[in-house]
Amino acid sequence: MDVVFIFQWLDTSALADFTKTWAGLFAMVQTVHILSMVMLCGMMMLGDLRMLNVVLKGVPSEAIIANTKKWIYLALVLIILSGIYEASAIAMKLAYNTFFFAKMAGLSMGIIFMLSLRNAVYLRAPEQIGANGERAESVPVWVVKLVALANLLIWFSVAATGRWIGFS
Amino acid sequence: MLNELLLKFATWLDTFQASTDLHEALYMYGWVEGTHVLTLTLFLGMLLVIDLRLLGVAFKEIPASTLIERLDRPMMIGFIIMLISGALLYFAIPVRSTQSIWFRVKVILLVAAGINALLIRNMTRASDMSWDNDPVPPKRIRIGATLSLGLWALVVAAGRMMAYDWWDCHKEIPYFMYWAAGCVNEMAAFE
Repeated sequence: MDVVFIFQWLDTSALADFTKTWAGLFAMVQTVHILSMVMLCGMMMLGDLRMLNVVLKGVPSEAIIANTKKWIYLALVLIILSGIYEASAIAMKLAYNTFFFAKMAGLSMGIIFMLSLRNAVYLRAPEQIGANGERAESVPVWVVKLVALANLLIWFSVAATGRWIGFS
Repeated sequence: MLNELLLKFATWLDTFQASTDLHEALYMYGWVEGTHVLTLTLFLGMLLVIDLRLLGVAFKEIPASTLIERLDRPMMIGFIIMLISGALLYFAIPVRSTQSIWFRVKVILLVAAGINALLIRNMTRASDMSWDNDPVPPKRIRIGATLSLGLWALVVAAGRMMAYDWWDCHKEIPYFMYWAAGCVNEMAAFE
């Protein structure tokens, strides 16, 4: 499907005019984008590394996952809003940038993965990983660890391809 | 005097073939910069968790000392890799970095953030952590955590601004800015 028309529309929008006029504001929005990425990745890593028993072993995983959730959602909203602002300034460049599409694919996959599998599996972490007490419907240890590894890999690729947009 | 010394050092670094090679490398420079940003997420991400706990806005049910002690290692791993990759980025573009007002601001903020981190560490040790399980820590600890978050956000902002050449030496800027950026030759032209 040809999606270039979306970028053409964005490139001629009032937002693009505004973005291109105020270079200083653009740089500040870039900073917000990076800081939101730090928040997202930091909270994701904390949850995933906890499930891999790399950090905070023995601390109930329920408390960690519950605390990280709202910060992850806040970071995602900020990333998407600042990302649209940034994209409007270089819309036509992005329309033909492979890394941008790789990042968008990774981002979509990461959000779907997090909202479905990650959330469901982490809620059912077994006692030997989660330290939340015995559960009737817990999932095997290897499933939890596989989900944690997959999630880390997906978000690592999103951040890495995002950084590479600047070099291509 | 200091500006001349810094420029001399940067110019000396610039004479190394490895510096030029890294700067002009098709992929290596990107990998180093990518590593710098990705390890920033590890270091600053863990610091964010600790600071939010010290602010009393998240992870309230987990003792503060548990987070501080047990996130220290991943945080320091991130910091060390970030520092090495940062040094390599400086080595690749030494002269422009030395004469970048944003780089100078970043280094000053880094020192300030380091001093603040030491002060927080001393304060938490001196307080015998009697507030360890309190959802909201004492005011002085919260002030330290706010400063920490603010300073690191500014470090990231200054790092991001380094990509722009608004106030580079080759631009026409006020004398004060030439001085602040260490534009030795441009300052001499003024005199």
